[in-house]
Amino acid sequence: MTAFIIRRILWTIPVLLLVIFLTFVMMKQIGGNPFRRTERAVPVAIQQNLERKFNLDEPWYVQYALYVKGVFTFDLGPSLVSRDRTVNDIIREHAPKSLELGFYAMLWAIVLGIPAGVIAALRHNSIFDYGLMFFSNVGFAVPSFLVATLLIYYVALKWGLVPTNGWTTWESKILPSFALGLLPMAYFARLVRGSMLETLQQDYVRTARAKGLRQRRIIVRHVLRNSLIPAITAIAPLLGFIITGSFVIEVIFSIPGIGRYFVTSVSSRDYSVVMGITVLTSVVIVLANLVVDILYGILDPRTREART
Amino acid sequence: MSTTDPRDAVVAEPAVPEVVAGAGAHAGAPMARASLWRDAWRRYLQNKGAVIAGAIFLLIVLFCLIWPIISPHDANKVDLTQARQGPSLEHPLGTDAFGRDMLTRVALAGRISLAIGLGATVAILVFGVIYGSTAGFFGGRLDNIQMRLLDALYGLPYLPFAIILLAIIGTINMWTMILALSIASWFTAARIVRGQIITLKQNDYVRAAQALGARWYRILSRHLLPNTLGVLIIAMFLELPGVILGEAFLGFIGLGISPPDASLGSMAEEGRSEYRANPHIMFVPGLAIAILVLCANFIADGMRDALDPRTRETKEG
Amino acid sequence: MALLEVKGLKTHFFTREGVVRAVDGVTFSVDAGQAIGIVGESGSGKSVTALSIMGLIPRPPARIVDGSVEFQGRDLTTLSDRQLEDVRGREIAMIFQDPMTSLNPTLKIKTQITEVLDRHFGYSKDEAGRRAVELLEEVRIPNASERLEDYPHRFSGGMRQRVMIAIALACNPKLLIADEPTTALDVTVQAEILDLLEELRRDHEMGLILITHDMGVVAEVADEVAVMYAGQIVEHAPTLELFDHPEHPYTEALLGALPQLEGEDVREGRLLSIPGRPPDLIAPPPGCRFAPRCPYAHLGDGCADNEPELRRIRQNHLVRSRHPASERQREAAPV
Repeated sequence: MTAFIIRRILWTIPVLLLVIFLTFVMMKQIGGNPFRRTERAVPVAIQQNLERKFNLDEPWYVQYALYVKGVFTFDLGPSLVSRDRTVNDIIREHAPKSLELGFYAMLWAIVLGIPAGVIAALRHNSIFDYGLMFFSNVGFAVPSFLVATLLIYYVALKWGLVPTNGWTTWESKILPSFALGLLPMAYFARLVRGSMLETLQQDYVRTARAKGLRQRRIIVRHVLRNSLIPAITAIAPLLGFIITGSFVIEVIFSIPGIGRYFVTSVSSRDYSVVMGITVLTSVVIVLANLVVDILYGILDPRTREART
Repeated sequence: MSTTDPRDAVVAEPAVPEVVAGAGAHAGAPMARASLWRDAWRRYLQNKGAVIAGAIFLLIVLFCLIWPIISPHDANKVDLTQARQGPSLEHPLGTDAFGRDMLTRVALAGRISLAIGLGATVAILVFGVIYGSTAGFFGGRLDNIQMRLLDALYGLPYLPFAIILLAIIGTINMWTMILALSIASWFTAARIVRGQIITLKQNDYVRAAQALGARWYRILSRHLLPNTLGVLIIAMFLELPGVILGEAFLGFIGLGISPPDASLGSMAEEGRSEYRANPHIMFVPGLAIAILVLCANFIADGMRDALDPRTRETKEG
Repeated sequence: MALLEVKGLKTHFFTREGVVRAVDGVTFSVDAGQAIGIVGESGSGKSVTALSIMGLIPRPPARIVDGSVEFQGRDLTTLSDRQLEDVRGREIAMIFQDPMTSLNPTLKIKTQITEVLDRHFGYSKDEAGRRAVELLEEVRIPNASERLEDYPHRFSGGMRQRVMIAIALACNPKLLIADEPTTALDVTVQAEILDLLEELRRDHEMGLILITHDMGVVAEVADEVAVMYAGQIVEHAPTLELFDHPEHPYTEALLGALPQLEGEDVREGRLLSIPGRPPDLIAPPPGCRFAPRCPYAHLGDGCADNEPELRRIRQNHLVRSRHPASERQREAAPV
């Protein structure tokens, strides 16, 4: 068991190093400008900071090592635009809101998505079932910015139920987290429905019925538990979606999180912030996957052997 | 390519067993394969959703190709007097902030997005086939190393990776977008190809070919790869939504194609600031993206059912 | 009064391709303490009959369209689901073919036994636990109290089936339905399980319906045998009588297909198999359903046009055929 955990952790390290390496290569493009749309001269003071910071006169492997050290000590460098703020400051200031957004989005997804899937499976081929499948198909296809703007347009603007942007009152938090949670919701619902339908066909469910057990007990004791385990695996890719999806949602709802900051940094060519946030996002996703993998290994012993 | 090489006398059986075998070795292979596709095509046609989706998709592609040519409007002509208009007879989808006709713009942008989609998908398949077939075919240590590397690469989150790649590459145009998106998402295709090759490798005709002394590239190209075609086509339609949505995302957050070229994603970004008063400027490209992705999903499902009916969900009980 | 009386049971499956008449008019009865075997090939409707008795047929495509199932005087087909739940497990129990998949892999054996006791009798945890140990001992599982804490995958196939039997017996049901209980097991284990069933039946004075495709199994355990073909009973007689004097051509063929290793009828040649396949149950042939494969159908008498009735040819012996063996001596020799 612990061997499994250690193995998974060890496997994550190369991935992290790869991520950092790639962003390092990205950083080396600093000579010009990573996104070269407009040539923008970097203010001299900041340029000096950068050179000192990134030891640009040292050989590349030293630079790399120093950068890795920087990442692991959470030192991601100065902002290129805001003269007296570091990337860390910016992250520290804006990340909590993004975390909150992501958390609520996942909450929506679980609270609405999983029961929806269960009901759809129990009422197979009913209108609810077909409706859910239709909704989930659409949910996977429609880009999140479209959903978000539609929601704002109707729920906030036309019906005035919630504010249209910001992240302050609890009402303002409902719509954005719901919008972000829609795709994960559809994903969970579909997954749970499929898994339950499959479980319901199993022989041991028939045995349970033959024993005269009440329907509720069969569902809860025999069916649900076995159906929900696969849903846990869904959390990993969904976390990735929620993290990247928050960029879009924050932009549309004007939420001051790191996602929106990332986008404005792209426009303002504050590429050290862009890099810093990219690295952070990648690392968070990788670590989140690791945690979920380990969790799944604990819950279902069979997967422990499956990994090479 | 005619051949009297005895090593080619070994007939490659198609993946699906219910196909009629032909009379002679050479007659057998192409005829068997043709009827496999015809069967699959027939099954595909029975799936109403997939057929409709396919038709819509085709219509959109045709529209994007033809309309900009015949449209009375110039997609790039700025005319501020016409700016921000809603749908009208002259501008069926309205105009954007610069007075440009939305219908024509979306057709042009659709071209680019579809080109990116197609290009990236093809690139994904190429990378996947090269990586997956070598891993699957040669097996052993090479396979092991390749798979470990793949596992590490798998850990990279798709969109941040694409962003990093774009930054490394430098410029953002249609080709670099194709490159970045494909490099960020070829891993699944590689796995699929490898799995398929490993399964097909077990077949007797492969061993027979090896016994006759056929070289590995011949076995791969003549026997194994053609039989992975079905799986590859399905994979292609499965990757397409990811690419289109990826491009939409990147475009929307500002990392889209540089103007004056526009993709659906960058069009959406332009509409971002306008959505309160003139939501259609963002809705139109957004809707186009949604429809394309939805169709691609249905087509992929339809193809999957057509080529392997056993995976169809049972409806009884 | 008989323990169970099935009268004219018809269970049909309503599918997209048509209505599958899986069980099409089945009548038989079981007395307390009696064992009846239902024999037939796959698709003959024997399992569906059993599931219909228990009310376990999948209700969207399937439905009992006619007939009655009277258990101790009550017609089970008229009961609601909740009422049926009270009968299942408590009065009538069922064990299935594949013990590997019939037990929940994620629950301990103990739970799977005690939940029945809890459900029908409201046993406390301790009482249920003790009773579970007793049950495992009764089905001859060694180290019962330790084995209770195990998960199903720690048991062999035969042991799992014993556990299934234990679960079935937990509430002392009056009737046990066993659907191919030994088919998935090794031959050596089969005999043990059959012995166990026989012994338990006598000890508990349970009625037993044993469903199988294997004539050998039925010979061991059953007092009476009903032979099913294409959704109908084609012959019904006490076991010895059936084996000694089979009447229906199908039964004869089934018995002829048995390997005979010793005794007077040692066969030197190959095993006889029955040519042809069972009819399509969506559109069964208008006349006798066995006619297409019957060696005697050519003799006229409208075999292909009118369905023969199930009639009493001797005391205790029913047959559904126009050419039963005992009436055939007078006719021309078969093909």
